[in-house]
Amino acid sequence: MQTQNQMKSISGYISKAILLLLTMAVVSQPLSGQDTLRTFGPRLGLDLARFIYFFTEPAEYGAEISGDFEVYKNIYPVIELGYSNMSDTTDLFDYASGGTYGRLGVDYNVLPMKDRSIHHSITVGARYGLSVFTQKAENMYIQNGYWGDMVLESYESSLRGHWVELVGGLRAEVLPNLFLGWMVRFKFLLNQDMDPKITPALIPGYGNGTNNRNFGFSYSIYYKIPLFKN
Amino acid sequence: MQSRLLLISVLFLMVSCVTQEVCNDNSQSELVAKFKTVISEAVSDTTISGVTLYGIREGKPDSLLYDSSDISSVELPLDPHHTYSRFVMKINELSDTLTLIHNTGFYLMSYTCGYGAIFTLDPDSIIHGSKLFYDIEIKSTVIDADTEPDEEHLWLYF
Repeated sequence: MQTQNQMKSISGYISKAILLLLTMAVVSQPLSGQDTLRTFGPRLGLDLARFIYFFTEPAEYGAEISGDFEVYKNIYPVIELGYSNMSDTTDLFDYASGGTYGRLGVDYNVLPMKDRSIHHSITVGARYGLSVFTQKAENMYIQNGYWGDMVLESYESSLRGHWVELVGGLRAEVLPNLFLGWMVRFKFLLNQDMDPKITPALIPGYGNGTNNRNFGFSYSIYYKIPLFKN
Repeated sequence: MQSRLLLISVLFLMVSCVTQEVCNDNSQSELVAKFKTVISEAVSDTTISGVTLYGIREGKPDSLLYDSSDISSVELPLDPHHTYSRFVMKINELSDTLTLIHNTGFYLMSYTCGYGAIFTLDPDSIIHGSKLFYDIEIKSTVIDADTEPDEEHLWLYF
């Protein structure tokens, strides 16, 4: 009888152990399932490549931030905001240009991922850019060996430049929600004749305004705020 | 995968393009005047011997642009300080004064070369004597610092 009771209690322990294991299995199944979920949220970026221009000649000082959000599968509307300014002094004249800019556009991720929890992306996209800026020329010196040298009056103009960009690049999730990525940009200026007196040497966000096409690149660090999973 | 992506990113950072603009030293805005003559009602080029030419510079001594030269054309630097430029041409013992009325403006040639002057001739306000010049014909009214080698602004008839 005692032996039967011991057998029952042993079988009870085993049953409880199996039940516990099954419970753990049931609990653990949705946990492993959550690992394959994709996180969504606004991704904020800072363009580190802008800081390289601090050391160019002439130096261009500025900063650029970005924000994107995967609103639909592989589709990321993007906004980029920044400012930059530069000045240059030569024997012939002094020049300065500076202002703010913004770009609106969309990226499309072309990188197929079987595991949706992986957030690396290779994107192609387009942008529309608008810059509001001021340029100024001073101490314009004209050499004239026969009639005599002369210095012109200063010139200043407030301008708006706009352009479109075709962009492509990649972003790698190096830590959870932290991304590094680069992007190449092919820019096409829409109004190069914005100032018939001085073609801007710098259109913030676009680059050298004497070129109606420009090439640029960004190298950014991003953080995605993981608001929800799906 | 991640390391490859990072490697590509770093390589892109190392790539940069540098362009260097070259500036032409001869960036003066000069009017080109060709010498012409009419023979049997046909206009032809002509070379004049012993041409001396200088500009009338207010407050400055005369400075010869050409000194007893045998030439078929002259290049006249226009005065950016005024809306007129005056030149005296002498051939042997004869001389005439040529006065050109012009609008004077300035423009950015390039960021490397700086600013240059641009002149627009008033076609109705060319004043000249008649000892040397038979007539003057305007071929182009705009004179800037980007004068082409074959560009002609005036024909001076002798």
